[in-house]
Amino acid sequence: MKRTRFAIVGKALLLLVIAIALQTLVVSRISVLGVTADTFVIFTIVMALSRGPLQGAIFGFFAGVVADVAFIQPLGVHALVYVLVGYSVGTLVSRLGGVNALGVFLIAAGAALSAQVLFGLFQFMMGPRAGFLTMLGTQMLPAAVLDALVTVPVYALLVRFRVVPASPVEPKTAGGVAE
Amino acid sequence: MARNKVAWRRVIFVILIIASLALLTVSFRESESGPVHSVQQFGAGLLAPLQSWGTKIAEPFQDGYQWFKTLWSAHRRAEELEEKLQVLQGEIIKLEEQAEENVRLKGLLDLRDRATYPEGTEFAVASVIGKSPTRWEAWVMIDKGSADGLRKDLPVVGATPTAGESLAGKGLVGKIVEVTEHSAKVLLITDSSSSVAAKIQGSRAEGFVEGSVSGSLVMDYVDRDIAVDPKLIIITSGYGPVYPSDIPIGVVSSVGEEDVNIYKEIELQAFVDFRVLEEVMVLMLPEQ
Repeated sequence: MKRTRFAIVGKALLLLVIAIALQTLVVSRISVLGVTADTFVIFTIVMALSRGPLQGAIFGFFAGVVADVAFIQPLGVHALVYVLVGYSVGTLVSRLGGVNALGVFLIAAGAALSAQVLFGLFQFMMGPRAGFLTMLGTQMLPAAVLDALVTVPVYALLVRFRVVPASPVEPKTAGGVAE
Repeated sequence: MARNKVAWRRVIFVILIIASLALLTVSFRESESGPVHSVQQFGAGLLAPLQSWGTKIAEPFQDGYQWFKTLWSAHRRAEELEEKLQVLQGEIIKLEEQAEENVRLKGLLDLRDRATYPEGTEFAVASVIGKSPTRWEAWVMIDKGSADGLRKDLPVVGATPTAGESLAGKGLVGKIVEVTEHSAKVLLITDSSSSVAAKIQGSRAEGFVEGSVSGSLVMDYVDRDIAVDPKLIIITSGYGPVYPSDIPIGVVSSVGEEDVNIYKEIELQAFVDFRVLEEVMVLMLPEQ
């Protein structure tokens, strides 16, 4: 049991390091539709899809802290958003009992869009005065689509190489998981 | 057991939310030199070399991508520029032609101002629309006729492109020999049947400038006793019913004498280049 836990934690740390490396070295330099992908939210969604809400939330918290450090933003912004995303995705997948590729895409799109909306709200309250609707069209929607598109192959790849399992570890119990 | 797990999950979720909010609050409330900011700056400092390496690694790929991207648009741009170039070249040719026309018309105006014409003389500028097809005759057709007031035996002057304000390029062309309603035929002074009463400017020498089949101009009936030097200007003398006086004809190019001839043989170079004549000015002298 302990070895399994160490393995899970180790793989999560590995994913975190890969996310940092990819984001700083590669992803931030490739712009599609005027936006770049966010590997931290992608990996958070992948972790939540495969490990469930708790691991998704924990991974989201640490990924968010790292993202705030990497993007030099107020500490806690990304952490808060990614915790919510990780927990929500994990809960949804647990209730559904597993998803196919289309399901992964749709869940990832919804989660990425929610993350973008939360960031947008934060920026709207604290930062530049660009119109919310303008940001919705130029930043949030394109970013959500891009993140969703990238999540599907990333998830498939990580499952293929057994970095993450294909579905949440804890199955639904009789009477349903009261989440 | 499952319920405990769910409860435990919710507790951790709430703890994480609180931790995030706490970090956010501390991050906003503390000063730049506070512990949270210090840790953040330390972490950013660790990532900075990664970002520099990333820039260096990505640079050739980005350059390659940019190269392909610009190659694609360069091809389209080249086609657009090619089309634009052709249009512009056409416009340049038009502008050059207009500039030349401007010079010629200015020359005609100059002629109008320099010479002395009988009172009541009017001027009509016409374009050359045809030329004699053979060397046996030397004439041009112009696009003005009786409807414009033209009639037979009116003198015609012209200007061809040259540099400067000199007389070169401006001078006598000929006279109208036939008129229709909208066109007229002008017999050039280089025609073998043409004869123009002329004199050498600044001299007593008078004679007749006649054309020839070869297209050259000869001034005949000049006394051989009169000194004539090359480069002297020959103008109309005003004798005769057609040409008023002081219209430039040409410049002496050579002077010859024969023992058996009582007259000099003076060859002259016409001011007007009949090969490139495009506009002429008809001197509409008052009817006598």
